[in-house]
Amino acid sequence: MALKKKALHGVIALAGVSALALTACTGPSGGGSSSAPAAAGPIAYGTTDKVTSLDPAGSYDNGSFMVMNQIYSFLLNSKPGGAEPVPDLAESSSFTAPSEYTVKLKSGLKWANGHTLDSKDVKFSFDRQVAINDPAGPASLLTNIENVSTPDATTVVFKLKKANDQTFSQILSSPAAPIVDDEVFPADKILPDDEIIKAKAFYGQYTIDSYKKNELVSFKAFADYKGVLGKPANDEATIKYYASPTNLKLDIQQGNIDVAFRSLSATDVDDLRKDSKVKVLTGPGGEIRYITFNFDTMPFGTKAAGADPAKALAVRQAVANLVDRQAIADQVYKGTYLPLYSNVPSGFLGANESFKDAYGDNGKPSTDKAKKVLADAGITEPVALNLQYNPDHYGGSSGDEYAMIKEQLEKSGLFKVNLQSTEWVTYSKASRADEYPVFQFGWFPDFSDADNYLTPFFPDGGFLKNHYNNPTVNDLIAKQLTEADKTKREADIKDVQNALAKDISTLPLLQGAQVAVAGSGVNGVEKTLDASFKFRLGTISK
Amino acid sequence: MTTLIDVPEAEPGIVTPKSKSKAGGGLGKYIVIRFFLIIPTVFILVTLVFFLMRVIGDPITAAQGGRLPPDVLAQRIHDAGYDRPIFIQYFEYLGQLITGNFGTTITDRRPVAEMITTFGAATLELSINAIVVALMVGIPLGLIAAYRRDKAADASLRFFAILCYATPPFFSGLLLKLTFSTWLGWFPVAGRASTRTELAMGSLAAPSGIYWVDALRSGNFTAFGDVVSHAVLPAATLGLLTAGIFLRLVRTNVIGTLGKDYVEAGRSRGVSEFRLVTKHAYKPALIPIITVMGLQIALMLGGAVLTETTFEWKGLGYQLVQYLNARDFVAVQGIVVLLAIIVAVTNFIVDIIAALIDPRVRY
Repeated sequence: MALKKKALHGVIALAGVSALALTACTGPSGGGSSSAPAAAGPIAYGTTDKVTSLDPAGSYDNGSFMVMNQIYSFLLNSKPGGAEPVPDLAESSSFTAPSEYTVKLKSGLKWANGHTLDSKDVKFSFDRQVAINDPAGPASLLTNIENVSTPDATTVVFKLKKANDQTFSQILSSPAAPIVDDEVFPADKILPDDEIIKAKAFYGQYTIDSYKKNELVSFKAFADYKGVLGKPANDEATIKYYASPTNLKLDIQQGNIDVAFRSLSATDVDDLRKDSKVKVLTGPGGEIRYITFNFDTMPFGTKAAGADPAKALAVRQAVANLVDRQAIADQVYKGTYLPLYSNVPSGFLGANESFKDAYGDNGKPSTDKAKKVLADAGITEPVALNLQYNPDHYGGSSGDEYAMIKEQLEKSGLFKVNLQSTEWVTYSKASRADEYPVFQFGWFPDFSDADNYLTPFFPDGGFLKNHYNNPTVNDLIAKQLTEADKTKREADIKDVQNALAKDISTLPLLQGAQVAVAGSGVNGVEKTLDASFKFRLGTISK
Repeated sequence: MTTLIDVPEAEPGIVTPKSKSKAGGGLGKYIVIRFFLIIPTVFILVTLVFFLMRVIGDPITAAQGGRLPPDVLAQRIHDAGYDRPIFIQYFEYLGQLITGNFGTTITDRRPVAEMITTFGAATLELSINAIVVALMVGIPLGLIAAYRRDKAADASLRFFAILCYATPPFFSGLLLKLTFSTWLGWFPVAGRASTRTELAMGSLAAPSGIYWVDALRSGNFTAFGDVVSHAVLPAATLGLLTAGIFLRLVRTNVIGTLGKDYVEAGRSRGVSEFRLVTKHAYKPALIPIITVMGLQIALMLGGAVLTETTFEWKGLGYQLVQYLNARDFVAVQGIVVLLAIIVAVTNFIVDIIAALIDPRVRY
């Protein structure tokens, strides 16, 4: 019997050892326990963004642009801490005629592969963007360029279609404008990532040392970089890609990465704020979320039953009076979004709070005002509102956001909201094909200028195609775009916002904040969370 | 008695020189028949996958519709040939597959074949690890259950087996992660290796892509330890799924064998029950495991999709989910077809092995 027991114990031990054999080898690596400080070595950055292409002509997304910002330079760029474009590869830049923008390059610039970087590369970069005009690329930002000429090796002249374009300096630092090596990139097609890496076609703070697409990228500081960003605060950095925000959160908590940026969920950020081992840092965000009204199909719209523009306006105004933005920001987004009271978000030239002044009770909802505006327009019955949102393109919290809006509107007794959702492929088409009378949309700016929240949206209905068209607004928008005097331009932008608040083509709801999480002993992340929305690994040290 | 899978008990001693010789003549024919059965299997799978993917429309619209102006979208559809009759597209697709061309992904413009070779090694590594876990857990526990049959330990192990089999990997994975990563901090949360090891693996000349092999080849034992620590939870998650089946199988077969005359004879000679289990009864009981292992490959690949996603194990399953989320159906089609081929070929190989071990299979 004793022998049997011994034998049994032996088998049990074997099973136990079998099950745990692998577990005995090591503990977690890269920092291990949750209390571990950031380990020495490269700055490790983690994100859920993805790279589409490292070729600037082939992608127009946050994940790709983040990498491009480390390895390419621009004629103009912004220093960490601000969004004002200043010379980067350029020595100087200015309008030399109303339709002529001239850039003088620094001399003696060399790509990491030893090729000369001169005005030929610049012309080539812009010409190929326009020539390739890839659907996934940012070529549409360059529509104001008539042509690019190069009088000499360090001079570039942009001839513009629209004179005095005040956004042009921003365009030169936008995703459409990284300068590429004309001896490496083909003029008429996208270059695969691996060939860019192989050819060392870099001129930025870093070069790429190794590259596994959407898995791991490692960077080394580029010693010959002479741009505005200067020498990076670290010699090496890595980007690790995650599919799950939860894994990103756990890895920053365990010290396996130094920085987590884009995109942690609101609840994860809220949780991390309570963790003393990490720092949650926020900066201004350019992303906005808003409700769009289709002027044809919304209740009392021009093609709806009982069409009446005055009643339609009253419906929009009533909604504006009832929405509680602060409650949505606090309860749904846990402070990762802020209330937005104008079409131009705060932080941009001329931004005001036109909706706060015009509707509700100084930012809070007002049922009384909503009742009055509807009654004055002769609307006595609760308004049936078909409200559409998208559950898969603007983050998982859209459902909660719009459930709260429905509740806010219905609580007043003035609306009966029929809330519906549709997945993105259908939604994006149907929303601009008059199928949704009132619907959700969001926007991330192409470049850091107030105009980017105006021109694409409102003249002749803009890309929203919601049949809004106000000639006064169109003129004001055109005026601010070419106004060289900054003070006058600021006043124009305020006028546009006030005019838009009267019409309510879209109802601004929320403005996103940039949220990054840094591990203990990691410094400099806050320096790059600025209104340029460019994350620079070069500001970080540990 | 409840069994998860109805597997015939192995007859010890059936492989006699005579029977080997009798059956040996049929082996070649058996292999040829089995091989040619793969072709219609794969063909049906490819056809099903192709037409199912087209039910939702053309792949360009699925991936990029709504983001592109209608004229640009139409041009891209035309350029890619998705506006042609579906049967022409189908036959072209078959032609491409024969030459090993699985297409190019829509979202990030990668050749699907290249992506498969890049990420296939990770899935293979996870599958090997999982099989090791399944065998290391399933066989010893099955033996214990057989030895302690109808006792409390046996009942517990049978319950454990059902639990392993019935718990979906995303759930067991999350539980393991929560317990051993988040609370205890014993194992990493996700990934195949730490950043340092990933970089070291990436700098190797001609890497196999299977990290523990590469770490051992390069003599980097720190990296090896790191890779193993990352592998434990994903391997356990996926391995336990199959371990439950192995446990039940071993138990059933060993108990069956323990009732055979030659075992009874041994028992009457005073051979201990433990010795009977571990020396005489378990070997024949392992033969069906090989067959079942083949059947489990499909289950394991399905489980790998969930496990890889849970643990950010960047293999084919992980990529499949990423491309599904991006609605990149060219990539999805390529990966699914490849997985189907792997399952078919693996089953073929397992059938051959089973036929070599047990001549009855050939009849």
